Amino acid sequence: MTRISARYLGKRLVVSYLTLLVIMSLLFVLIRSMPGSFIGSMITPELDQADIQQLRETWGLNEPIWRQYIDFMLNYQTGDFGRSPTYKAPVWDVIISRLPRTLILFGAAFIVQFIVGPLVGMYLGWWRGTRKDKSIFTSSLAVYSMPAFWLAWLFIWLFNYELGWLPSTYMFTKFAQFDWTVVTIVTDVLRHIALPLISIAFVSWVGAMLVMRPAMNNVTSEDYVFLAQAKGLSERTVMIKHAARNALIPVATQAIVGLAFLLDGSVIIENVFSWPGLGQVIVTSVLSRDYPVSQAAFFMLAVLIIVMRLVTDIAYTYLDPRIKFGGD
Amino acid sequence: MSTETESSSQFDSLKERWRPRIERFRRGWDRFTQEKMGVLGIIIMVVFVLWALFPDFFAPHSVEWRAYLGTEPGRLTAEQADSLPHPPAFGDPFWAPLGTNYVGQGILSLIVHAADDALYIGFAAGLLSSLVGVPLGLVSGFYGNTWIDETIQRIVDVMYGLPFLPFLIVLVAIRGITTTNIILGIAVTSWLNNCIVIRGETLSLKERSYVESAKVAGASDTRIVFRHIMPNVLPLAFVFLAQDAATAILAQASLAYLGLADFTANSWGLMLQNIKSNGYVFDAWWWLIPPGICIMLIAAAFYFIGFSMEDVTNPQEDS
Repeated sequence: MTRISARYLGKRLVVSYLTLLVIMSLLFVLIRSMPGSFIGSMITPELDQADIQQLRETWGLNEPIWRQYIDFMLNYQTGDFGRSPTYKAPVWDVIISRLPRTLILFGAAFIVQFIVGPLVGMYLGWWRGTRKDKSIFTSSLAVYSMPAFWLAWLFIWLFNYELGWLPSTYMFTKFAQFDWTVVTIVTDVLRHIALPLISIAFVSWVGAMLVMRPAMNNVTSEDYVFLAQAKGLSERTVMIKHAARNALIPVATQAIVGLAFLLDGSVIIENVFSWPGLGQVIVTSVLSRDYPVSQAAFFMLAVLIIVMRLVTDIAYTYLDPRIKFGGD
Repeated sequence: MSTETESSSQFDSLKERWRPRIERFRRGWDRFTQEKMGVLGIIIMVVFVLWALFPDFFAPHSVEWRAYLGTEPGRLTAEQADSLPHPPAFGDPFWAPLGTNYVGQGILSLIVHAADDALYIGFAAGLLSSLVGVPLGLVSGFYGNTWIDETIQRIVDVMYGLPFLPFLIVLVAIRGITTTNIILGIAVTSWLNNCIVIRGETLSLKERSYVESAKVAGASDTRIVFRHIMPNVLPLAFVFLAQDAATAILAQASLAYLGLADFTANSWGLMLQNIKSNGYVFDAWWWLIPPGICIMLIAAAFYFIGFSMEDVTNPQEDS
């Protein structure tokens, strides 16, 4: 923390908070602009007009819109997300029971992405312009162009349908009869996570590679790399210890874009694999006009992205001692 | 007479004026064709453009065509209905090289006829997001560290906080599910990277001496931005246009998977959605694989051309 002044950190925190407020306002407007409302799914033929009015009253839809907005903004400050009309439970419970599952799957994918991507990018950037580079680069772009859900179907077809090696739905075996020990649970989850993880990671590492490759190529012409080479250090040492370390800086920025890419993937991949995570909740709640849940889910994702942006900015200073925030 | 000589001299001066540009283009083209990847991209693109322009020439049937309908009008026999979706086979009673789907449309015909949709979505969304991202990036970079820059960057921050695909779903839900709205939604959400990179480039370009001299010569800000800085960021903008086009095509396919595609249009994403909703994902490989490969190829073609352009405009010495 030595290189970051408290004043800079404070300013960034305030700006991040204000950004979040703007995002929340946008969400409120956008989600309420969708035609229809969740009341529609509750109306049954037995209900008469008075009952419908009663329903609207219960869910606070009769209040003037500015009142609803203020309530929404104030309630979120205190962590009160309201109740979900479709899940019949507090929104917080709906979100919090799904969030860990999304975090497990996409945390794993994030780690794989940022190990494989920079490694391949480092290799290609170091050998830029050679045939090795060109052929690997071209084929990885082709991989990057595959629709994620289509690839997932191919994997399910091969590994689940044809070979029967791995399960393709849910996070646990349903109605499992095994002993619930830590080992069996972990292996069960690992078996279930394998296919979704492969499907995401197979495509998404390319994003990190695309940033690492030119960054690596830029540092290869720096003096300190020549110096290291002149000292007689081995090619591999120079590449990994001297060049790659500095090429990682733009990759840290890319981490945000990569995260957003994964969140997009989460919507699709969770649907394909019936993975009971946040991405699935977002789609169903938006489509069923479940305002409280969709607002909260978007809110959680926005918080995640904003926090990650802050973290990468701070990580910069450790990767590159030349960068100094708020020093002057 | 006099008008003729005038027009020819006009033509000459026009030629004079355009010669350096044509020369530059030719040099760029020579460098571009050295990259096999870019040439591959162009070839794929040309094939798809031909498909889009002359679908009837490449497709064995029209979109309306159904297997069996030609021989036996009216109801299908039970045997015929059972054979749908029909796998590709020699000795078809009809000509469907890639088999048919569950209503008897030829897969190859559908694939060819969907090319125009993919190209339209790609180019329209790419162009639109460039039209938003590039000017904003230019302005933001040129007025770096002033309130204008700050405002634009805060807008970018806000947009970054909204996850792309879910946000797109909301936009499409608000405006209605049509191809135009999907394109608009993609453009609204995908100009961010464009804007950020162009801003960075402009920040460094505006410190160059030729911008200084233009300023001293009394050029207005607008003139400096559009006449002096913009031509230098355009190649970069083109790279992002290609990437945005590829993203748009993939995003449209994802939306289609979620059931948010224009069901009156004919697109590869919609074909995949049809396979899923009718439950043929694991039974009809001849129906599953071609649309995915087409989406992959067209997106890859955009990436290939974009990244080769980057090499052309920013040549690296070969080691």
